Amino acid sequence: MMLTTTILFYVFSAILLVSALLVITARNPVYSALYLVLAFFNAAALFLLLGAEFLGLILILVYVGAVMVLFLFVVMMLDINLERLKEGFLRYLPLGLAIAIVGVLEMVAVFWTAPIGRVPAPGPIPANADNTRALGELLYTHYLYPFEIAAVILLVAIIAAIALTLRRRPDTKSQAVGKQVAVAVRERLRMVDLRGPKP
Amino acid sequence: MQNALFHWSFAIPEIWVLAMACVVLLVDVFVGERQRDVAYVLSIFTLLAAMALTWSQMGQTGFAFFGQFHLDPFTSIASFFVELLSLLVLSYSRKYLLRRSLYRGEVFVLLLFALLGALILISGANLLILYLGLELLALSQYALVAFQRGNLRATEAGLKYFILGALASALLLYGMSLLYGLTGTLDLHQIAIALVNVGSANYLLMLAVVFLVAGIAFKFGAAPFHMWLPDAYQGAPTPVTLFMSSVPKIAIFALFLRILVDGGYGSIEIWRQLFVALVVVSLVIGNVVAIAQTNLKRMLAYSTVGNMGFLALGIVAGTQNGLASAFFYAVVYAFMATAAFGLIVYLSREGFEAEEISDLRGLVRTRPWAAFLLLIIMFSLAGVPPTIGFYAKLAVFQALIEAHFIWLAVFGVLMAVVGAFYYLRVLKVALFDAPAEDLAYGADDPLAASVLTVNSLALLILGIVPGALVAFCYHALQGVL
Amino acid sequence: MWIFDWLHGLPPIWVYLLIPLAPLAGSLVAGLGGWFLRERAHWAPIAGVAFALYLAIFVLLQVLHGQTFYGNVYTWAVFGNLPVHIGFDIDSLTAVMLVVVTFVSLCVHVYTIGYMHDDPGYARFFSYIALFTFSMLMLVMANNFLQLFFGWEAVGLVSYLLIGFWFTRESANQASLKAFLVNRVGDFGFLIGIAAIYHYCGSLDYRTVFAMVPSLVGQTVTIIPGHPWSVLTWIAILLFIGAMGKSAQVPLHVWLPESMEGPTPISALIHAATMVTAGIFMVSRMSPIYEQSATALSVILIIGAITALFMGLIGLVQNDIKRIIAYSTLSQLGYMTAALGASAFSAAIFHLMTHAFFKALLFLAAGSVIHAMQNEQDIRKMGGLRAHMPITYLTFLVGGLALSGIPPFAGFFSKDLIIEAVGESSLTGATFAYVLLVLGALVTALYTFRMFFLVFHGKKRMDEHTQEHLHESPWVITAPLIALAIPSLLAGWFFIAPVGLGAFLDSSLQIRAQWNTIGEIAAHWQGTGAFLVHGLESWPFWLAILGIALAAWFYLLHDGVPAALNRLLAPFTWVLRKKYGFDAFNQLVFVQGALLLGRRFWHWGDEAIIDGGMVNGSARLVARAALSWRRLQTGYIYHYAFVMIIGLVLFMTYFMIWRG
Repeated sequence: MMLTTTILFYVFSAILLVSALLVITARNPVYSALYLVLAFFNAAALFLLLGAEFLGLILILVYVGAVMVLFLFVVMMLDINLERLKEGFLRYLPLGLAIAIVGVLEMVAVFWTAPIGRVPAPGPIPANADNTRALGELLYTHYLYPFEIAAVILLVAIIAAIALTLRRRPDTKSQAVGKQVAVAVRERLRMVDLRGPKP
Repeated sequence: MQNALFHWSFAIPEIWVLAMACVVLLVDVFVGERQRDVAYVLSIFTLLAAMALTWSQMGQTGFAFFGQFHLDPFTSIASFFVELLSLLVLSYSRKYLLRRSLYRGEVFVLLLFALLGALILISGANLLILYLGLELLALSQYALVAFQRGNLRATEAGLKYFILGALASALLLYGMSLLYGLTGTLDLHQIAIALVNVGSANYLLMLAVVFLVAGIAFKFGAAPFHMWLPDAYQGAPTPVTLFMSSVPKIAIFALFLRILVDGGYGSIEIWRQLFVALVVVSLVIGNVVAIAQTNLKRMLAYSTVGNMGFLALGIVAGTQNGLASAFFYAVVYAFMATAAFGLIVYLSREGFEAEEISDLRGLVRTRPWAAFLLLIIMFSLAGVPPTIGFYAKLAVFQALIEAHFIWLAVFGVLMAVVGAFYYLRVLKVALFDAPAEDLAYGADDPLAASVLTVNSLALLILGIVPGALVAFCYHALQGVL
Repeated sequence: MWIFDWLHGLPPIWVYLLIPLAPLAGSLVAGLGGWFLRERAHWAPIAGVAFALYLAIFVLLQVLHGQTFYGNVYTWAVFGNLPVHIGFDIDSLTAVMLVVVTFVSLCVHVYTIGYMHDDPGYARFFSYIALFTFSMLMLVMANNFLQLFFGWEAVGLVSYLLIGFWFTRESANQASLKAFLVNRVGDFGFLIGIAAIYHYCGSLDYRTVFAMVPSLVGQTVTIIPGHPWSVLTWIAILLFIGAMGKSAQVPLHVWLPESMEGPTPISALIHAATMVTAGIFMVSRMSPIYEQSATALSVILIIGAITALFMGLIGLVQNDIKRIIAYSTLSQLGYMTAALGASAFSAAIFHLMTHAFFKALLFLAAGSVIHAMQNEQDIRKMGGLRAHMPITYLTFLVGGLALSGIPPFAGFFSKDLIIEAVGESSLTGATFAYVLLVLGALVTALYTFRMFFLVFHGKKRMDEHTQEHLHESPWVITAPLIALAIPSLLAGWFFIAPVGLGAFLDSSLQIRAQWNTIGEIAAHWQGTGAFLVHGLESWPFWLAILGIALAAWFYLLHDGVPAALNRLLAPFTWVLRKKYGFDAFNQLVFVQGALLLGRRFWHWGDEAIIDGGMVNGSARLVARAALSWRRLQTGYIYHYAFVMIIGLVLFMTYFMIWRG
């Protein structure tokens, strides 16, 4: 059992890492988005392995179901010129590469010499554990404050998004239902005398 | 028992601002274009009441929300200042917003949310809370910068600010996660305890602090993490610039104070050296590049960079006095920046932003009183006695010398001299050049004019009798170490 | 008294604060609202100063009842371990000064309404003199050296502004510059003195410093190798250099006669009654320091005596009415200084007080004369004004008699007390000083009554036009004259015992037993009447009478005598007319020398090295850097992000190398 879990962990992790790499290397942005979906699925699987089924499912529902679909829409609708994006890439490559290598080497060196303190393994999961409930209890007690702030951030994001994109075009035609219902007979029909003045 | 741990009454100002932001949002939906003043007045009222609430908490201390919310003198005093500054911003901007059809409920709401973010930052006692507060503050600001949708420069500035801000947040978050990995806790007080055993020679701690400082420096606008700042300041509508140059400076100082002093004082030997580098680069870049600017807002943006260098001098000192002087500097700078941008707001009109230095030519002939106030503001920014700006610089240098950073103090003074040049050049243009014939400033706006007058004269009067303000600011940092 | 009753309810600090702040408020109103108030600008300053006088009298009464105050009111700043306080030291010395300053100031304020009524700078003038009153009050109320220095500089500044009040006049500008520069020399010494005090005592608070003085007695400092000097002597002399500048003692006196270019009320208020006595006040205040240094006291005594006689002599050959009074002021300041040197601090303060009254009176009366004479100041063109200006005539006479030291006028008591005290002194140079001061009495009477007779008696020498317009001045001018004439007449008789003999001032002063000249006189005191009678038998009185008689003989009876004397004493009068060559010397050495040096520095130092190399060079460098760095700001997001990342990696690398 233990072995199966370990093998599964490494398999999912490997796919996760490879797909994450492919997200940033794929030439076509649609591919990138799809690789990201794959990465999310694998991350969700890792959550499930840990017994955190709520988090795993939420990840799939929210990120794959909502966010990534939106992403794909946007990517497909935009006309992205890949060649233009790559302009200047080669020019900055040497310096960028040098900086990146130095940065990575240093970080590796640090992690090598100063391993992160190991967190003790959690105890066995009780049989009737309900992690949705456990999360809920924590979120509304101990983490109420950050939870509320996160909610406010989302609210601000909504307000900002609407305020920045919503525009009322004067030239669009739309139905004014209220006006339609409230209309009176006299407004609907106007009698015009077409006979003209008598000769 | 739970209630005792919540202690939500400590957070009443925050809760009030949140609730009222929602109220303003709703009210604004139902009032028409004509009654926008309702939302405006409501926002002003919100801020006034928030100030009163904060004031009434003065002197109380304690933790709330399971140790995630820290009420101490610093919380009350810094909160009071950011609320006051937000009030100033709103009072300055009414006419400006009206003239550019920006006089909309969303602007007030976003401003209130930004303020809420600042308040959360100031009282945060947990890495998670600090990060969320920072994001709330930043997100509201991104939206505010880009709010003028039709304005290409504003949208570009908003986008730049957003992307680079996200990068900086990532750096900060990475630093936080390293700190978490090192200590196993998000609570700042437990981090402080855990760091006692870690010692400042730990490579991981160094890495964490490097990332944290980089993130904080970005938010401060200290060089070399300042590149976003001139573009964002120039592109944003002036009232937004006004906000960005004042409230966040105090909030970010709080961020620094909470993470690196409340939590990470054990790593002072590390961050002090980083701040030395930031100081030197900021002072040079800020003061020298400002000279080449022709746009007043851009010049003031570089002046912000330079001033953040001066502020960081107090941080370098790192002592009780040094931190207090840095806070004092942040407060003073915020009020000077408010006055400076407030003047630009006041002089602008539809289709004319009064943001080029040459727009001020001969101001003394056309608007003598505004020119006089400009004189005070620029003197204060340049640090000429008897203005409060002189005092702020003096306090910082003094703390620095007490901490035996003599050469850095000398360098700072030299840079202050260079800085004086471009402030005085503005005065030269305003006082000695002939007025341009085609310039017409905005119609008189009594509200902005009176706020500007009070704001600017305060710079002078507080410089003559600085005792109370100094004591107030120093009291905030009492017992922080 | 019932009019003060309500003040008892106020915290004393408020009362003390209001004393300087009331004139300041008046000054601000007149200064900022002058464009609007115009000829009504005098109300606020007068109200402010009158209120200050009212409070000052209250404070004096309180001090008489033993209620003094010493403490800080507001901490303006803390520089390291040097706190800068605004504080008050309210004791008998301060109280006396408060009343004198506010009283004279009020008289001058009222007088100014008439004197300056059609001047375009009316409001500005009131703003200045009220500001001056504020500064002077801050100076006398200070309880620490920094506040003292603030007041000291502030009165100097206002004095400069007022001397140059008619700034379109070339001579006024030059005079104000001269006053400013000469005072700079004095203030430089003063400032070094204060710095020395801080260096040795670590504090600038009066009481702290005075408490530390005994521990400094043995300390020496070596400035010239091989000649160690007492620290206290240095401090005392440096501070006295400041006093020499402000109180115009030889050789820093040259600015005071020139200062007569300012409007006459200023000459009365600043250059006779108050500011110039700041030095006297300061030395008295610092009596604990001065008492520890016999050398310093001797220097003060000799300089004072020299000033007293030799400046009086110049007064004999002057023809400008204001300059004569100015030289007499110099001479009287010399008397006060000499008293300080003889440790007769109370006598100096007493003379300061009586002198403030009668000299302000003389100046204001002179102003009244000048006013009537259509701004003519040359006494050779006056004469016979007695009939036209009876009030001015009588008050001038009172002032003149007081100045000459004729009993029972105020000046007699104070001046005689000083001469007696110097006679008692055993310091080096005391005998020399005594002789000079006694001779000074003759000279004083002579120049005073020469002026008096030439102005008010004899033939009318003015032109027809002026003669037609001769008239007595309006009440706003004469009322202050009368107000000042009363104390000029009576102050001596009433105040010699409490003020002059120091009973009242004792608590503020500190005098060592071996130099206690005033104590010596007080020990043989048999009452004011006896002192008066004794004065009638003394040299100075008869010399003064002789002076008046000579003046009457020369200028009333025998017009030809002065001319004959002039011829006879030609070399002597030539020296006097040249004012002993101080001005010529200054002109030649300091002015020409400074100009020469300045030009050299300008051409070589400034133009070539600093401007050419450093300023323009560095400015060019900065400008070039600014322009090129500005180009770094490309506007591309990825550039910005790249710079951030580079910065981050540099930070990391720094730590790797630093720790590795």
